[in-house]
Amino acid sequence: MSEERHIYVPKHEVLSVKEAEEVLRTFNAKPHQLPFILLNDPALKGLNVKPGDIIKITRKSATAGESIYYRYVVEI
Amino acid sequence: MSKEEMYKVIGGIKFSILSPAEIRKYSVAEITAPETYDEDGLPVQGGLMDNRLGTLEPGQKCATCGNTSAKCPGHFGHIELAEPVLHIAFIDEIHKLLLITCRYCNRIKLEQEVLDEYREKLSHKSGLLIGEKIKEEIIDKAKKVKTCPHCKKEQYELIFTKPTMFTEKTEVGENRLLPITIRDRLAQIKDEDLELLGFDPKSARPEWFVLQVLPVPPVTVRPSIILESGIRSEDDLTHKAVDIIRVNQRLKESKEAGTPPLIVQDLVDLLQYHVTTYFDNEVSGIPQAHHRSGRPLKTLTQRLKGKEGRFRGSLSGKRVDFAARTVISPDPSLNISEVGVPIDIAKRLTVPEIVSPWNIERLRRLILNGPNKHPGANYVIRLDGIKIRLDFVADRKPIADALAPGFIVERHLDDGDIVIFNRQPSLHRISIMSHYVKVLPYRTFRLHPSICPPYNADFDGDEMNLHVPQSQEARVEAMLLMRVHDQIISPRYGGPIIGGIRDFITAAYLITKDDTLLTKEEFYNLLVEGEYEGELPEPIKVENGEEYYSGKQLFSLFLRDDFNYTLKSKWAKSMKQKTADVIIKNGKLINGVIDKASIGAEEPDSVLHRIVKDYGTTESRRFLNSIFKILKAFITHYGFSYGYSDLAIPQEAREEINNYIQKIYEKVYDYIKQYREGTLQLTRALSPEEALELNIISELSKARDNAGRIADRALPDNNPGVIMASTGARGSTVNIGQMAGSLGQQAIRGKRIMKGYQGRALTHFLPNDINPDARGFVKSNYRDGLNPIEFFFHAMAGREGLVDTAVRTQQSGYMQRRLINALEHLRIEYDQTVRDPHGNILQFKFGEDGIDPAKSDHGEAVNIELLIASQAVVDEGSKANEDEIKSIVAKYGKNLNKRVYKNLESELINSNLSKEGVEKVCSRVVELFDKANTEPGEAIGIVTAQSIGEPGTQMTLRTFHFAGIKERNVTLGLPRLIELVDARKIPATPTMDIYINPQLSKDREIVANIAKDILYTKLEDLVANTEIDYNNNIKFILNERKLNEHGCSIDDILKVFKSSKKKLEVSSEDNVLVVNIQNNDVPLTSIKDKLLNTRIKGIPGIERVTVIKQGEEWMIQTSGSNLARVMEIENVDKSRTITNNIYEIANVLGIEAARTALIREITSTLEEQGMEVDIRHIMLVADVMTSKGVLQQIGRHGIVGTKSSVLARAAFEITVPTLAEAAVKGDIELLKGVTENVIVGSTIPVGTGMIELYIEVGRNE
Repeated sequence: MSEERHIYVPKHEVLSVKEAEEVLRTFNAKPHQLPFILLNDPALKGLNVKPGDIIKITRKSATAGESIYYRYVVEI
Repeated sequence: MSKEEMYKVIGGIKFSILSPAEIRKYSVAEITAPETYDEDGLPVQGGLMDNRLGTLEPGQKCATCGNTSAKCPGHFGHIELAEPVLHIAFIDEIHKLLLITCRYCNRIKLEQEVLDEYREKLSHKSGLLIGEKIKEEIIDKAKKVKTCPHCKKEQYELIFTKPTMFTEKTEVGENRLLPITIRDRLAQIKDEDLELLGFDPKSARPEWFVLQVLPVPPVTVRPSIILESGIRSEDDLTHKAVDIIRVNQRLKESKEAGTPPLIVQDLVDLLQYHVTTYFDNEVSGIPQAHHRSGRPLKTLTQRLKGKEGRFRGSLSGKRVDFAARTVISPDPSLNISEVGVPIDIAKRLTVPEIVSPWNIERLRRLILNGPNKHPGANYVIRLDGIKIRLDFVADRKPIADALAPGFIVERHLDDGDIVIFNRQPSLHRISIMSHYVKVLPYRTFRLHPSICPPYNADFDGDEMNLHVPQSQEARVEAMLLMRVHDQIISPRYGGPIIGGIRDFITAAYLITKDDTLLTKEEFYNLLVEGEYEGELPEPIKVENGEEYYSGKQLFSLFLRDDFNYTLKSKWAKSMKQKTADVIIKNGKLINGVIDKASIGAEEPDSVLHRIVKDYGTTESRRFLNSIFKILKAFITHYGFSYGYSDLAIPQEAREEINNYIQKIYEKVYDYIKQYREGTLQLTRALSPEEALELNIISELSKARDNAGRIADRALPDNNPGVIMASTGARGSTVNIGQMAGSLGQQAIRGKRIMKGYQGRALTHFLPNDINPDARGFVKSNYRDGLNPIEFFFHAMAGREGLVDTAVRTQQSGYMQRRLINALEHLRIEYDQTVRDPHGNILQFKFGEDGIDPAKSDHGEAVNIELLIASQAVVDEGSKANEDEIKSIVAKYGKNLNKRVYKNLESELINSNLSKEGVEKVCSRVVELFDKANTEPGEAIGIVTAQSIGEPGTQMTLRTFHFAGIKERNVTLGLPRLIELVDARKIPATPTMDIYINPQLSKDREIVANIAKDILYTKLEDLVANTEIDYNNNIKFILNERKLNEHGCSIDDILKVFKSSKKKLEVSSEDNVLVVNIQNNDVPLTSIKDKLLNTRIKGIPGIERVTVIKQGEEWMIQTSGSNLARVMEIENVDKSRTITNNIYEIANVLGIEAARTALIREITSTLEEQGMEVDIRHIMLVADVMTSKGVLQQIGRHGIVGTKSSVLARAAFEITVPTLAEAAVKGDIELLKGVTENVIVGSTIPVGTGMIELYIEVGRNE
């Protein structure tokens, strides 16, 4: 997003194919077993996302300081 | 012992529809006779009680399988229907199919290409619910098609008359579609078309929705009962089946006899009615079938549905043996982990014990004691499996002698046995705990009063249940997982939930207060009571040869020598002391009193909490038992009571209270006077009436508080009531104030009482009297008594309280059921992720740091501060420098998360520890951090659901509250929590917090102008009056003040009207807006109303704005919300502006923002109510609700509805349609979740049930 990010929106990044595979291997999971994010999610605007991508989300955490969450891009 | 038998495990359940061929195949008899039994009482062959369908009486043998009633499973029969009828459970599917298929060629009325496209989409289904979506789309499109694209023929309009009639509108008139035609049409639909609709044509051909043959369930499904009078009474299902057979018979006969078609049709309809009610007797649109007595029949659907139905009543929950229930009463002389069991119950409940050389003599003695003498036995099971009931044995000697290893003796429950104890409602896991048995006389269960909080029990007649585990595995699990002292820490917030209550607190205060001296005798007696072993301290004082000890010494003896802690007691707080008074150094209580803050239940960070965390649960149990015994003994001898005379306050104080109240009354009168004179100072956006009411309420609440305070002050510090209130044992100063001071304002729905008559609450007052007395202010107190009017007001408020509780329990109960159903199957996996049983990840680490709240230290993995403090006591050597600390922390902290790492580092730098000290602390932190991790298999979903559901019961139902500013009402408490987990599109009270760009936000003027721009303004909001004259002019007389308030001018309005498409003729003079209407088609009044509704400016949805100062800057709070539009306004800070409408946030800012907002909203709702819930639980709920990329509700339309398990969905709500849908789709139940496995009776796949053990067979050869 070009404008300033909202305090509620954590950092979203698209993973490269290699990184995505690494994530799936770490968690021994198929892509559809990850939590989803819609292709048209406002937070993905400007990120050049296509269905099937995996998004890495770096959240600020009240418990861990910082935590990583992954979401699988789906189309509705 | 017999070898372990092989047994089969259910792998899954496939749902499908029986085809007529299958029904006939499974049938053992065609049922044709409506009679059940003949004159001799024998079942009629071909009747509904045909003995080929199974047997009921124990003696009889089944004519089909030859088994007796115990073994015969029952066999289906069938009825050949003379005319097909529609199956009510599939009526919607039939309707849809008829709508979308061609009446000639029976294809879906969409072009082949379109269908192929959908098929293509379906083949690589990626997203969620794609099948459902395609089905809906096809139906939506195809039902509108008038000409079949395949055969190009015209379609007729289909009319569906509920519940079972279909009609076609043809050129010649309406033509009814008979089931037989429907069946023919459905039979022609192609399999490939059906697949597009999600049908599984192999398990469910649509023509099977039309019944030609009806299966007759075996008699075991519908047993007849023989009443005391000897009359046979048949099951409701049998009655209904008789009706069907009768009508079927008549229909068949009249068809054969060539009766006029009209009459035949009537009979077909009657048959349809009976078959419909046979399946479901609650179909809307047709009368219910009744029993002779007038009671509606309970047919198939009714058997499955609802709380008492098969799914929830008999499959998800079952009645058990080896259980007991009776009233509970307190017994402080018990151990905290014991339960007192009445001897009569102990003699009925048994524990099976396998005879071995080590227990054979004991068991022999038990057998000799028999069933009626307490430590006895009720049954002996011999090696051959024969069970001997000792009741019926005249001489037990031979049986005792014959006892041999391998026999099983079912002996009486005895001291030391482990049992499971439970009180409903079981809102959280600590509502069920295991206790050790203590057999006691009398007839009630006895439990230690300090374990009331987890059970939420009191002794006003509460009953509790007790279960005796029968297998070794069950006993081990009960002992390892469920014992009382292992549950001291609540998984909800990581603090102790068990601890001192009531008199234990009082006693602790009395014993540890400064002036308590105990003689040597008293001191030693109390130590014996506390089972103290160890050295005795020196007396603190010797007077006249008598040695005296202090109470603090006594308490200290039960603390470990290395225990150090300081805190501020409740008592010190209420005495307005500034410093922390309780100081424990090296296991010695040096200063301060022990009260609720130190040993109380539900008090995190107390002495008790430290003991549990630092020394473990066994030590805590020892501590609690000893302390409680001593406290009990002490207060028993001390004699602590509270009575009428303890509420007596001196005359001067009484007068002071009266004077004070009088003064307040005068103030109120003054306000009323000001209001009448119009000089009352107004608050923003409040009408004079509201402002007056607000002022009066605030004055009167001052009256109550101060009256209470005066009363409280007048009582001496050793007044028992004051002691109890100040130590936290029971009650509060408010309670004392109400008893001795003034009861204060009685409120209904948060307002002063004004219901009853017009303008007054009671006829004793004048209408519209706003005096305090007339609106429910009670000057009197409980001690002196209330006058009748006050009493009545008090009763009104009291009644509201009762209603509130009743409503609340229902609402929060349902919320909890939904939470449990949505989360029950979530568990921690071995890689620390939170997943559902299909492997779908919901959290990559529970609560983002993988810490189990139940093992945490009040939400923190490690209490670093305390760790450093305790290390500091023993630490030697010079202080480590910053670099050294950083490198040590870096060495140890590889696996610590960022926050703990940072905390550790900064705390260490601030400390004075040496290098070794730092090392020790670091290694201990890492150790404790690892220990606090969640364990694989933990049923974290259930823990979370309980942690959020349980506090719901304690929340107020009061909907509205003022949040910050007087003008803004916000839904709070339980309703708000429910609203959040419901993921409602629009909350009951939407509000926004709008921030302005920091450069501008310091200037109130600028912010206020933005606020005015945002405020949604209709013409109506600006108009003082309207007039219509005979020249077709509508005049709007504008209000100057309102214009100002909304920041509008007449020009603004003119602009809006001139630019509107309607081309109105508008003019203005002064403050009057004139609209001239030419055409006279529409009445002017309705045009006027329309015009009044015209938007002048602002953002739709924003109903009210308030500018307030927050810290340095000004910001806008609103009622009403429209995030998307507000974000477009210039100078609004887009990075901080928020709304409480989660849905809007999801749409405008994305799913991650919605998650953040959800967590914030739930946290603040719970916090505002004073409910402590670990944030990790809230995170899980938020992550679950957002895991599909869209907001999902916790409930039937959201998470529970999308569960893959058919049985879990059926057991939750909407049972029968769920099953019907599953059959149509040919769904397979994979039995992976919790509910499903409970239903089929296998081990649930969470916790200890998650482990599967495989043994390689034949490896040795």
